[in-house]
Amino acid sequence: MPEEAVKEIKVDRKHRKIGNIAPELADRCYTCGTCAGGCPATGLVPGWDPRKAIRAIVLGMEQEVIDSKWPWVCTLCGRCQYQCPMGIQLMRTFRTCRTLRERDKVPGPIHKGTMMNLQRGNNLGIPRDDFLFLLAELGVEMENDEEQPTPGFYVPVDKEGANIIVTINSKEPFGEPDDMKFWWKIFYAAKEDWTVSSTNWEGVNWGLFSGDDPSMKEQVARVIENARRLKCKTILYPE
Amino acid sequence: MDLLEEYIKSGRIKLNTHKYHEAYTVHDPCNYVRKSQMAFGQSTADQSRWIAQQCIDPSLYREMCEDSMNNLCCGAGGGAWAMPYDDERLAYGKMKADQIKDTGAEIVVAPCHNCRDQIMKALPKVHDMGNYKETLYLWELVSLCLDFEPWSEAEIEAGHAARDAQFERDGVELEEEE
Repeated sequence: MPEEAVKEIKVDRKHRKIGNIAPELADRCYTCGTCAGGCPATGLVPGWDPRKAIRAIVLGMEQEVIDSKWPWVCTLCGRCQYQCPMGIQLMRTFRTCRTLRERDKVPGPIHKGTMMNLQRGNNLGIPRDDFLFLLAELGVEMENDEEQPTPGFYVPVDKEGANIIVTINSKEPFGEPDDMKFWWKIFYAAKEDWTVSSTNWEGVNWGLFSGDDPSMKEQVARVIENARRLKCKTILYPE
Repeated sequence: MDLLEEYIKSGRIKLNTHKYHEAYTVHDPCNYVRKSQMAFGQSTADQSRWIAQQCIDPSLYREMCEDSMNNLCCGAGGGAWAMPYDDERLAYGKMKADQIKDTGAEIVVAPCHNCRDQIMKALPKVHDMGNYKETLYLWELVSLCLDFEPWSEAEIEAGHAARDAQFERDGVELEEEE
């Protein structure tokens, strides 16, 4: 190859957006392709797979990865990171790419839901009164269920000193309320001393997926605060 | 899952094991298996299988992935269920649909809200899943298999009193039952 055909790629490591992850990649990635070979998302976004995305970042093209669909079609399943023979934190890197996407360009409702959660205490903005009424109503329904009645049952709200405090996935009160009864019936049978908070009860942390660390931490802090306020020993994310 | 296991092992809940007679399999949610193992050194893979097998005869259990740490994502993880990339999410899920089909199972037990939605509401519409008939949350399966007695009169009275006090405090007014 003639000398002049070799074009040097200059990487400005001091001003990398992806913190101290990238320099470590530059030294480590052997481009073996284990990640891309084992990734179910390989081939779904033309031009991208985990290996290519890592290489792009290594070569200083992180903005192209950040602007691409890749970090969002990747489900952050972690299989690549688990298998990487060089210990590269691919999942963490792709999540960081999500963090670096401008907030108004985060695809779908997960950023808006995160903001909604910070304002109103759950991703879907369900008002407190509607929530409490729904829990009360479902409790009565369950008590009088024809097939398997649970006499004496109700949903304990803000019960101080309960053994377990339970978070709620907002999709359930919003669209699939009866699905909450599965756990409730188990609590009834076990005679558990449990409770739900009347506020900030959301159990789905969309900040985790939108790459929004401050909001993610705020939500976790609220769940813990509820447990402290109500003096509950155990927090249950009912999954 | 720790809680379900504890309830079953301690005898606090009893399960009717004759409710289901179909072949079943258990899906491994990335967040509770691979990622939990990597971050906290704890995976729920064995627990979820054990719990499911307390509900349905273990001889009907079909393994979908011998190595749970390398099991595949349902395709809707990481917020993908809510994202506008439906074609990619469904194409991704083809691998999960194939896994389920290969087990021959009629019931898929999903220990995660998100995986359940993808496996129940999305994949069967676009992929051949063989014998597949339904998806159940792990806790849904436990709940449907519960064998319990109604509370005693005293417990019911205490429940009603606590409920009425709570409704009074929170200003919840339900319409009277007919």
